[in-house]
Amino acid sequence: MKTSVYSSMVLLSSLLCISLWFMSTRSFAQTDTTIVTADSVSTVISVTESVTGKTITLPDSIDPAKYVESLMEDDKTMFFQGFTISADLMGPVLYFASDYGSVEGALRLNLKNTYFPIVEVGYAKCDMTDDNTDIHYATTAPYFRVGCDVNMLKDKKQDNRLYIGLRYGFSKFTYDIDGPDISDPIWGGTDKFSYRDLDATCHWAEVIAGVQVKIWKSFHMGWSVRLKRNFSSTQSKYADPYYIPGYGTTTSSTAWGGTYNLIFDLNWGKRKIAKTDR
Amino acid sequence: MQKLRTVTLTLIIGFSVISMLLAGCSSNNCPLESTVLCNFHFYDSEGTAISYGDTITVTTLLPGYKTVYIYRKFGMPTLTLDHPDQQLTESGYTMSQMETRKDSVLVNKLAGQSSMQVPLSYFNATDTLIVNYASISRNDTIYIGHNGYPYVDLPECGTHVFHKLSSISSTDAAIDHIEINKPDVNYEGNENIRIFFNGTAQ
Repeated sequence: MKTSVYSSMVLLSSLLCISLWFMSTRSFAQTDTTIVTADSVSTVISVTESVTGKTITLPDSIDPAKYVESLMEDDKTMFFQGFTISADLMGPVLYFASDYGSVEGALRLNLKNTYFPIVEVGYAKCDMTDDNTDIHYATTAPYFRVGCDVNMLKDKKQDNRLYIGLRYGFSKFTYDIDGPDISDPIWGGTDKFSYRDLDATCHWAEVIAGVQVKIWKSFHMGWSVRLKRNFSSTQSKYADPYYIPGYGTTTSSTAWGGTYNLIFDLNWGKRKIAKTDR
Repeated sequence: MQKLRTVTLTLIIGFSVISMLLAGCSSNNCPLESTVLCNFHFYDSEGTAISYGDTITVTTLLPGYKTVYIYRKFGMPTLTLDHPDQQLTESGYTMSQMETRKDSVLVNKLAGQSSMQVPLSYFNATDTLIVNYASISRNDTIYIGHNGYPYVDLPECGTHVFHKLSSISSTDAAIDHIEINKPDVNYEGNENIRIFFNGTAQ
């Protein structure tokens, strides 16, 4: 079961990566074509602009007024650039393909196209039975993350982003665990093993790297890979939580995770200029 | 732009590699032992850690009774068996039988060790351990009060029974006194119980 799930994940990851790669290269190439070089034109005009104080040479096909406005925008980027809302596509796929999954949405602010404070809220479910031990584990609970991403691209204005970030995650949940009856091999006797509504509270941190590319108008797609570490969790007397909503399985002290995000970007600030600067 | 493409491609490849690594690796940190054992450590009467020189056999009483067969012959040691032995009868032994509590050997002929490991019952509130010494005619009896409870670390590792020790006492054939050191009996390898034998280490 697990092998087929992992194979599906790898296949899905590869397909999405390839598609994202094509999207990103096309998008980046479009950005390249906006660069104007004086060598490529035979006729040029000279414009002296008070904003820069420099003499700029332009092809005659370009409106000098627009070019001046563009220069002013570069210098006067507003602090608050809008926000994005996004949904994770990986969680629902995992939900249908494996023993656990989630639905997750995020709200992210855009500050100067560089800093992106973010809140992520999700609802996760796990319902699994180990094939060898017949121990069954189940939980359904919400989780929360807060943090900040930083755009690492030199050109902050373009629609694509390459970012790293940090998250603090939190989930308070209950879980059920049950399994075969317990038998004493020496003294004899048996007893049931079944516990309901065991309480747990977990805190963890995540380090994130990811990309985001424009696919159509304000819609973007992106993925992130996340290294997670659980630094605090309350434990039941009878069982550790096997799956923490928002964190993943607890088979080791650290966990890897990832998201594929569909993002709606309300990035109005890029075209806004303060009136006092006009 | 070329640099950005390179970085992006690197991250994409990295993510794919990580996915494949996650698919290929499966960690299993399950304990090797299926039964959790209580650790006893040996000391002399003044508290110095020692290796106990005598040979120790530890048995425990089980629920219910069993029939034992006792063979006696003049000038020969008495033999107690769980089953009848026709050859002993033919060689001149006289047999008698009696009902006695069921028991089980937990530690067999331990010699020259500084500690021993003993399983505890899953559901009994008190376990009775009988310690037999090779060089002493009397036995010691140890009474251990504890609370057993099931515990699951990971579902793939199955269920194990941990214990919380609550009380301990013993007779004084070879034991000066006995005490609980760490009451949690689990996989951490705690020194749970200290046995202080009579005498002092030279």
